[in-house]
Amino acid sequence: MPVAASAIYFLNLRGDVLINRLYRDDVGGNMVDAFRMHIMQTKELGTCPVRQIGGCSFFYMRISNVYIVIVVRSNANVACAFKFVVEAVALFKSYFGGAFDEDAIRNNFVLIYELLDEIMDFGYPQNLSPEILKLYITQEGVRSPFSSKPSDKPVPNATLQVTGAVGWRREGLVYKKNEVFLDIVESVNLLMSSKGSVLRCDVTGKILMKCFLSGMPDLKLGLNDKIGLEKESQLKSRPPKSGKTIELDDVTFHQCVNLTRFNSEKTVSFVPPDGEFELMKYRITEGVNLPFRVLPTIKELGRTRMEVNVKVKSVFGAKMFALGVVIKIPVPKQTAKTSFQVTSGRAKYQAAIDCLVWKIRKFPGQTEPTLSAEVELISTMAEKKSWTRPPIQMEFQVPMFTASGLRVRFLKVWEKSGYNTVEWVRYITKAGSYEIRC
Amino acid sequence: MAMHGMRGLSVFISDIRNCQNKEQERQRIDKELGNVRNRFKNEKGLSPYEKKKYVWKMLYIYMLGYDVDFGHMEAVSLISAPKYPEKQVGYIVTSCLLNENHDFLRLAINTVRNDIIGRNETFQCLALTMVGNIGGREFAESLAPDVQKLLLSSSCRPLVRKKAALCLLRLYRKNPDVVNVDGWADRMAQLLDERDLGVLTSSMSLLVALVSNNHEAYWSCLPKCVKTLERLARNQDIPQEYTYYGIPSPWLQVKTMRALQYFPTIEDPYTRRTLFEVLQRILMGTDVVKNVNKNNASHAVLFEALALVMHLDAEKEMMSQCVALLGKFIAVREPNIRYLGLENMTRMLMVTDAQEIIKRHQAQIITSLKDPDISIRRRALDLLYGMCDVTNAKDIVEELLQYLSSADFTMREELSLKAAILAEKFAPDLSWYVDVILQLIDKAGDFISDDIWFRVVQFVTNNDDLQVSAYILGEYSHLLARRPGCSPKEIFGILHEKLPTVSTTTIPILLSAYAKILMHTQPPDQELQSQIWAIFNKYESCIDAEIQQRAVEYFALCQKGAALMDILAEMPKFPERKSSLIKRAEYSEADTAEQSAIKLRAQQQPSNALVVTDQPPANGATSPVPVGQLSLAMVPSMITTEDHTSTDPASSQQNGSLTKVDPQHPSADLLGDLLGPLAIEGPPGATVQSEHNAVSRLEGGPDAVDGSAIVPVEEQRNTVQPIGNIAERFHALCLKDSGVLYEDPYIQIGIKAEWRAHHGRLVLFLGNKNTAPLVSVQALMLPPAHLKMELSLVPDTIPPRAQVQCPLEVVNLRPSRDVAVLDFSYKFGTNMVNVKLRLPAVLNKFLQPIPVPAEEFFPQWRSLSGPPLKLQEVVRGVRPMPLPEMANLLNSFRLMICPGLDPNPNNLVASTTFYSESTHAMLCLIRIETDPADRTQLRMTLASGDPTLTFELKEFIKEQLISIPTAPPQSPAPAPAPPPAAQATPQIPPNDPAALLAGLLS
Repeated sequence: MPVAASAIYFLNLRGDVLINRLYRDDVGGNMVDAFRMHIMQTKELGTCPVRQIGGCSFFYMRISNVYIVIVVRSNANVACAFKFVVEAVALFKSYFGGAFDEDAIRNNFVLIYELLDEIMDFGYPQNLSPEILKLYITQEGVRSPFSSKPSDKPVPNATLQVTGAVGWRREGLVYKKNEVFLDIVESVNLLMSSKGSVLRCDVTGKILMKCFLSGMPDLKLGLNDKIGLEKESQLKSRPPKSGKTIELDDVTFHQCVNLTRFNSEKTVSFVPPDGEFELMKYRITEGVNLPFRVLPTIKELGRTRMEVNVKVKSVFGAKMFALGVVIKIPVPKQTAKTSFQVTSGRAKYQAAIDCLVWKIRKFPGQTEPTLSAEVELISTMAEKKSWTRPPIQMEFQVPMFTASGLRVRFLKVWEKSGYNTVEWVRYITKAGSYEIRC
Repeated sequence: MAMHGMRGLSVFISDIRNCQNKEQERQRIDKELGNVRNRFKNEKGLSPYEKKKYVWKMLYIYMLGYDVDFGHMEAVSLISAPKYPEKQVGYIVTSCLLNENHDFLRLAINTVRNDIIGRNETFQCLALTMVGNIGGREFAESLAPDVQKLLLSSSCRPLVRKKAALCLLRLYRKNPDVVNVDGWADRMAQLLDERDLGVLTSSMSLLVALVSNNHEAYWSCLPKCVKTLERLARNQDIPQEYTYYGIPSPWLQVKTMRALQYFPTIEDPYTRRTLFEVLQRILMGTDVVKNVNKNNASHAVLFEALALVMHLDAEKEMMSQCVALLGKFIAVREPNIRYLGLENMTRMLMVTDAQEIIKRHQAQIITSLKDPDISIRRRALDLLYGMCDVTNAKDIVEELLQYLSSADFTMREELSLKAAILAEKFAPDLSWYVDVILQLIDKAGDFISDDIWFRVVQFVTNNDDLQVSAYILGEYSHLLARRPGCSPKEIFGILHEKLPTVSTTTIPILLSAYAKILMHTQPPDQELQSQIWAIFNKYESCIDAEIQQRAVEYFALCQKGAALMDILAEMPKFPERKSSLIKRAEYSEADTAEQSAIKLRAQQQPSNALVVTDQPPANGATSPVPVGQLSLAMVPSMITTEDHTSTDPASSQQNGSLTKVDPQHPSADLLGDLLGPLAIEGPPGATVQSEHNAVSRLEGGPDAVDGSAIVPVEEQRNTVQPIGNIAERFHALCLKDSGVLYEDPYIQIGIKAEWRAHHGRLVLFLGNKNTAPLVSVQALMLPPAHLKMELSLVPDTIPPRAQVQCPLEVVNLRPSRDVAVLDFSYKFGTNMVNVKLRLPAVLNKFLQPIPVPAEEFFPQWRSLSGPPLKLQEVVRGVRPMPLPEMANLLNSFRLMICPGLDPNPNNLVASTTFYSESTHAMLCLIRIETDPADRTQLRMTLASGDPTLTFELKEFIKEQLISIPTAPPQSPAPAPAPPPAAQATPQIPPNDPAALLAGLLS
């Protein structure tokens, strides 16, 4: 088990310590000053998440308006440390009701200390599962054992669960209505040249589940992925179905997935934890369906004028629509005046990010709105530096569309009692870093 | 008032102040900048109010550190607005955002000028302030007359004139030509009659800048300055608003005294007396009080007064008063005051001979050595180091040693170094010195830098009986006691006992010691020899390369017998390093006025105090050893002598480069160099004499052969002998424009020259190095026919430790190689000294290097055909040198090498322009063809439009090529070898009289 942290600090954006916990004695209390001096107050903040200062390694990440800094002196496992932070944040979020920011920390000091004590011991990460921790780190009052009134709830036994065969699920759960929610969330990363050729393109996706099932159910998930289909046709000795199959790269599963069965049968079968969890993650690099095409033309007319024309084409089904589409078109720093003509949505100039921002709330498929803008630049003292032309960036969400084409073929639930379940499946595609050079 | 009612601006500022972090701030600023850009773009609709508001915002953003690279136009245009608030913001933003080199400022010049010559005082003030802050050359050219008019006008309010004075100061700094010296001096004097102290303070700032450049023109201001000072010191007619804690305008006092320090002396006895009275009053009236501000002000005045007293060479009484005052200062609790006291004492030490008076405070200074403040400790250490001489060396060094054990680590190295230097310089006897060093090594251990123990070793190597102990000394790890007089065997025994236990780095030293013991054992001791040989044998196979090499070499050397003596002869003396203290003391002077005064003194300070008292002359250079006794074992003496001679050109070179920076005071580092070689050697007389004899012997030749004006000879009857080689100094000065021309124990003559076309302006700096005046000073020019020279009047007496400058104008009439001679004489005590010095107003000074491209060179070369315009000669007996070196040499004579013109790489082609009254500017072309097989001969072709010039230049270059004056004589004075002249002679072909002449001349 690798060491992940000697100390953990939570700082606000000014660099004040909100809360901290030292797990080992090998770092001093003034470590945070070093972080402030050598990282926060320099331009390097945000460029490299791992820095070494004076024999100590600093791992940091920013989540909303909080910096989480891990300081470690020994040779630590960086991936483990970051995973720990991410999991800890997820844990806090589930405790605080979704928000994790400076205020949430200030309002929950005691709870955070309690959690920090529990989730790491002498620098080694411990159980970070919210379901289990919530059994014994509660926010409710505790009934006194000397109280005469017997408690109406059974005393939860965390030890039993953690040490049991299915560590992630309690026995004896009962739901009136047995439901399973399954979300496939994909984000598309794209870098396209100004000529329209794809330079880099991939999709990272994850399957999120929410289970409200009684007893100890066994679930089996079938996707239209290549290996799974091939294996199935092999087993059933029939030719593989025609139709699109998807090749998944870098698949990682939640710990509940039975890997031996995955290895032999290539099916995803598991006993789910109760509540919400991330079943699997994957990546796809080939055969990506891009939801949008962007055709920019930006002309510099002399020293003080520019003409910007951008056409955005939605290439998904006409019945579908994208939500929250934002297109950011960079302009030079000395932009003074702008005027727009758009066929749909709204556009304005934002000086703080040096971009023309074009927003379209609802963007139907197979349409082609355009923006044409005229930009006037102010003349400056310095010789005009040639403008670097940063890429156009795009944000969007397309429900019921997967850029990879992944589909759920089946989701089967077996339980001893044989109850009926309701399965809900959702797809959504978001923009990751979706950039088009112009 | 301008901010009043600008709501947008105050909202913006409060927005910025409310930002939680840097990122928010940046976003807010970017947004605002976008807004400002947008507003500036549609200027049509921009009201003056809005324009003002946005320009204020721009300024605020700029002051927060963000880049604002637009909107300068708007800011500059606001300057011409009619209303005050707009004009004000225009001026302020312009002076913040733009610098003097900005093109935009050109647009503003006219408006600014209109404001300056206008009648509105507030506008005048705004304009003057802006120009005073960013005015550049262009402003200086176009605005200076108007500003001067304002400054002198009697109708202006003091407020405006004050600003005008400061504005003029700025313009003067940017372009000194704006103030016409002749016309301005009187007006300046007039300005100093001003009653208003504000105007007077500003004018005084201007005066300080003016006199620092050229004090001669402003003599008339001197009495006025003294008068002002008197008025302030007596507190006559000082308005209440100009007194600061009861001190009448301390700023003006300081500035006035600063200005006074730029004048070399005050001759008028009345003025001098008044000034001294005032200074006396300041010295008497200053005391340490409780109030910090008052202290600061009065001390600023006091220290400036001290500097002035030092500069003016006040009489002893005043000096002792100063020292007493400083003594009071160093006894005060307040550390700042103590620091100042110590520092000024050190400074006094540098410039005056207040040593005796300062010595009274020795105990107090030693207490300061234990101060908790490290900077005070350092000052005290410096002061102790500076005030140490033979009489108090023992006390001080012992005190330093005691302090060493408690001193903190940062100071230990410096401390031990200083203790070592002092012990060495002022050792009353050797055993004391060795004791001190032993203690030092014992106490400081690791903090002894390698230098110190090298020094000790080196110092003791010169004394036979201590030879062995020196090497033991080096090994302070086991601190063997010194045992002079022990038999070699016993010493060997003691050393050898330790051999098995010492580290590998020590073993080679021990091996060297063995070899030396062996050498010194006379008559040879067979037993010892076999023992030592056995050891060498053993270490011949040692794994450490150093040990092995030494063992093998010593073994081989031992068997050679006699040769051993040469190789293991005494270590040569190390050239003494320049004392870090002196260096630091010089560099720490931030103040130009005082600095120049200190430099002046430093340069004149005679090197008399630094003599080891009862030590027998340690090396051959100082001892009047008969030549016959100079056996081979005395090799070090030769080396030292050479060292000594070679330091002189170096020092004058340093001197030269410094004078360029500070033309009034020729030398800074001279003290270090002066003291350096003399520290142990004692008075320079003997060395110099012998050396000088050699020189004059060499130069006797040309006298006999050629009786022309070229007489670089000193009269042999002179009892005062020059320091350094006069001929060498002359040759060095032929190549550069400033340096020392002549120096002896009493006087130093420096020279600084400027050459422009056929005119030259030389300044002779006659510095009296002594405490007694030099009388009957006479300088007579003996110019050759081709030079017209005018030497300004040389004063009959040079006051003690003063420097006199004598400008000398030279006009070149026609080309000639003849040299001007200065017949210089003075009387010191009963000694009449008379020297004839060649002046470096030689042919090459009137050359101006000029590059000639190929397309111009060849037609010129062809058009000048045949004698007498083009001369060719084969020169033999050239000093062999590689081609680049020859090119460098020619370049140093201002002949510009034009590479690539001649296809043959062994040839050099050069071009230059010669200026004289008869020829005006005349192009000269030179081609030198060398023979790679025989470097001693070459063929030289010269062409110019004037036959005399061609001939003279050819001869001149030939002289330079045949003998190179930059090389110092290799074996000076007592060497029995044949003199260098004799070596050179055979190389000169007897059939070439010109070359012969040139060879003899060098």
